[in-house]
Amino acid sequence: MVKFYQHTSSFEHAWDNVTYAFWLRYPNPFASHVLGCDVLDRSVDPATGVLRTTRLILKKGVLPRWGRNLIKNVDTYIIEESVVDPRTHTMVTRTKNLNHVRVMQVEETQTFTVHPENSKWTQVKTEARIISELRWGLTGRVESFGINKFMDNSAKARKGMAHILERLRQNAAMAAATPATAGAPSSGSSSPSKE
Amino acid sequence: MSSSIGEKCTKIKQEYDGCFNNWYSEKFLKGDATPQCDDLFFKYKECLMQTLEEKKLDTLIADARKDNPFPNASSSSSSSKSESSSKKE
Repeated sequence: MVKFYQHTSSFEHAWDNVTYAFWLRYPNPFASHVLGCDVLDRSVDPATGVLRTTRLILKKGVLPRWGRNLIKNVDTYIIEESVVDPRTHTMVTRTKNLNHVRVMQVEETQTFTVHPENSKWTQVKTEARIISELRWGLTGRVESFGINKFMDNSAKARKGMAHILERLRQNAAMAAATPATAGAPSSGSSSPSKE
Repeated sequence: MSSSIGEKCTKIKQEYDGCFNNWYSEKFLKGDATPQCDDLFFKYKECLMQTLEEKKLDTLIADARKDNPFPNASSSSSSSKSESSSKKE
């Protein structure tokens, strides 16, 4: 059985900052379940200028009681592959879990582009696929759990990114408010967030 | 900056992260893709590879990476020497 999920959201921050925040997003107060994050490979394609990165992320898992017989160690390894094209202002990331794949495989693709309605904003398209190979009537339960958990995590991930972005904005505002430039009109005024 | 999965690699990892973050925001996004953190990355990766072997994660990762999510985005032009034996299917 497979379940699909799709969501489009936006950040009121420039694409450059959003992709930068992507690298800085751990740790943040909404990601206490992330135990570690490592870069396995990283290179720039000399022909296209595209930055390609593979990271490994370790997350502390949480399972409902009925799932505890299925998985003893719930910690999950996630592989995250990404490409950043600075010329077209496109970042694509794909993550999937490496272990527990028979119980549930979650594959998520996110595409970060300049917002079509406001060039100072960023649009994020999220697509996910949740698959379970379990039988004995558990599949539906696992997948509903998976999709709910995934949506919770997605919301948390957006909050985490927003938190990092706000910190970057504050740092930039502080840097801009050094004595030499004090008195300049602030461009960092916040407006209601739109998701 | 986040910790490494291998505790002993966290220090070098964070040094590398610092270098990368600076390069990404100050160079890469401004059109200069000249590598700047290769030495740190090499040291970090040496430590990380040991950890992955110890945790028996190396084969799991190799298998997962056979499935290329971005087939159009360049062939894997990895700069690291230790990856030269990876096979493409």
